[in-house]
Amino acid sequence: MLNIDNLHVEIGGKAIINGLTLEVPAGQVHAIMGPNGAGKSTLSYALTGREGYEVTRGTATLNGVDLLSLPPEARAAKGLFLSFQYPLEIPGVPTLTFLRTALNAQRKARGEDEISVPDFMKLSREVAKKLGVTQDMMKRPLNVGFSGGEKKRMEIYAMALLDPRFMILDETDSGLDIDALRVVSEGVNALRGPKKAMLVITHYQRLLDYIKPDRVHVLAGGRIVDSGGPDLALTLEASGYDRYKDAA
Amino acid sequence: MVLVAPSLADGELAVLEALAPTQAGEAARASILAQGLPTKRNEAFKWSDLRAALQDGVPKPSGSAGMVPACWQDALVIDFTPEGFGLEGDKDAGLVIESEESLPLEDVVGVESLAAGFAPRALVLRITSQQSRPIFLRRHPGAPMRVRVELKAETNLTLVDTSLGEAGLASALIEAELATGATLTRYSLQQGGNKAIDLSHCRVTIGAGATYEATSLMFGAHFARAETLARLIGAGGYCRIRGAYLLAGSSHADMTSKIIHLSPDTFTEELFKGAVQDRARGVFQGKILVERGAQQTDARQNHHALMLTEGAQIDAKPELEIYADDVQCAHGNTIGALDEEALFYLRQRGIPENQAKALLIEAFVTEVFDTLSEQDVRDWFNDQARTWLKSRVG
Ligand SMILES: Nc1ncnc2c1ncn2[C@@H]1O[C@H](COP(=O)(O)OP(=O)(O)O)[C@@H](O)[C@H]1O
Ligand SMILES: [Mg+2]
Repeated sequence: MLNIDNLHVEIGGKAIINGLTLEVPAGQVHAIMGPNGAGKSTLSYALTGREGYEVTRGTATLNGVDLLSLPPEARAAKGLFLSFQYPLEIPGVPTLTFLRTALNAQRKARGEDEISVPDFMKLSREVAKKLGVTQDMMKRPLNVGFSGGEKKRMEIYAMALLDPRFMILDETDSGLDIDALRVVSEGVNALRGPKKAMLVITHYQRLLDYIKPDRVHVLAGGRIVDSGGPDLALTLEASGYDRYKDAA
Repeated sequence: MVLVAPSLADGELAVLEALAPTQAGEAARASILAQGLPTKRNEAFKWSDLRAALQDGVPKPSGSAGMVPACWQDALVIDFTPEGFGLEGDKDAGLVIESEESLPLEDVVGVESLAAGFAPRALVLRITSQQSRPIFLRRHPGAPMRVRVELKAETNLTLVDTSLGEAGLASALIEAELATGATLTRYSLQQGGNKAIDLSHCRVTIGAGATYEATSLMFGAHFARAETLARLIGAGGYCRIRGAYLLAGSSHADMTSKIIHLSPDTFTEELFKGAVQDRARGVFQGKILVERGAQQTDARQNHHALMLTEGAQIDAKPELEIYADDVQCAHGNTIGALDEEALFYLRQRGIPENQAKALLIEAFVTEVFDTLSEQDVRDWFNDQARTWLKSRVG
């Protein structure tokens, strides 16, 4: 599914990711943990093609397709989705209009038919119900005036509507209280499948109680410095990241 | 010493010819002979050089005046053509329509004097009771228009004007007097080709408890300038002007306004938003003048614009001049680029770059229309903006 090989990423000439290699097979959920500033968000931006995150070496492919040569929207159409650590507020763009535009743009790029407005409304209501997204939230301009938790919920809502194949969740747990965390995690788990995969970036082990990972990787100093099973997350929770200081 | 009249450029000579044989035409002619057309050396025209815009003469009119949009189907349509004006549609009771000689304005030079000078006659709209039927002033390519509106106390009128010429010099002068408690609502749409010159000036006197509320959308032209001069002369008078502009290619649009608070307890609310790309130029000059006696004035002005590409130009001059001490005045002015982070966010969701840009620009600029109470009018403006964005950006 996702194959990252010896990836190097610079921001403004400063090396942030330094030779990262990672493989996430279809059907699996991998977690990436690491201290603040380790480069977790940088990795997610580099994979999704944000300007200014310059890949200087290495490769990244999704089902064999070279991601790095594609513009962000083409990567999205291939099924790559990023739930942002800090979702943006976009005044003047109604949430549902935005999501329908996005879904239809992806469909068009894949050579599929557009979804009709009634079909989309039906779909959006069904998904909203599951994720505790209210009608009011869907009618407001995108994320405007939302709490941190509401924004994260909207990210997962968008994810469920767009139904991507590879999902990157960048600190989706931050800003969520325990009830919201449960609802959102259930929503995420519902999107798991044999032909899909996820990269769950988190700072805390807590999220991984709800979204059970197959593998856990530690990112420090721009590389994967340790990998293991779900237990690794528990160890990290107890001992912190200090022991990776030198490895980085 | 011998006085030599300044030598006139081709454009100025052509303008002299286009002026009507009226007193207003004579006055404009005299002013051009004495000092020429305004150029960038005149402070008020420093970003909009009219003489330079006319250096190749007055373009021959071409293009169409456009259809009457669906949301104005029930309006009384008045067509202004280079030959004169004509009416079409029903007229409500309480509306008196006359025409009068185009008289010169006192002590003025510039757009208003020219617009007065081009018009062979002035149309007079006298409103004596509430009007439910809007009046649609359809300005044809190359046509002059002069309209004087008198709103008696407690009356109201909705005035729409459009100017969509491909080429030609079109002009408009609207003079409005709003008596106590009267409301004039005005909507304008301007979209000119790269051989169109559009000069418009609206001067309005706002009485006690009266409201002037104007909303415009400009796409510019070879040279387009829309001026507003509003005078608030009675307590409770309210002036609200909203304007959006979208400019591409070599388009030029200038929004110049002066709002004078002469009475206590008067209000101004101004919001202008625009986006400019290619080699186009947007000009915003907004002056609010609060005279000594105008205590408890509340005036707000905002102008925010996006520079979409290098080479585009936006010039803004917000000006507050306040001679009263107990007032609330605020203004904000920003010129920036499209938010790269927001753009990436939309693209990550699968929206192609140009479409994402168009979406963000539309959201930014059409905020101006968000507070319009009539849904179909809001849609009309939003649709114009969206159509333009689709062909120019998305
Ligand atoms: N836009 C930027 N410009 C310069 N440095 C940046 C920028 N974004 C992130 N960095 C730097 O890159 C490093 C990794 O940041 P980030 O990927 O956000 O870390 P994490 O998500 O793991 O907390 C940090 O040292 C941070 O300061
Ligand atoms: Mg981060």
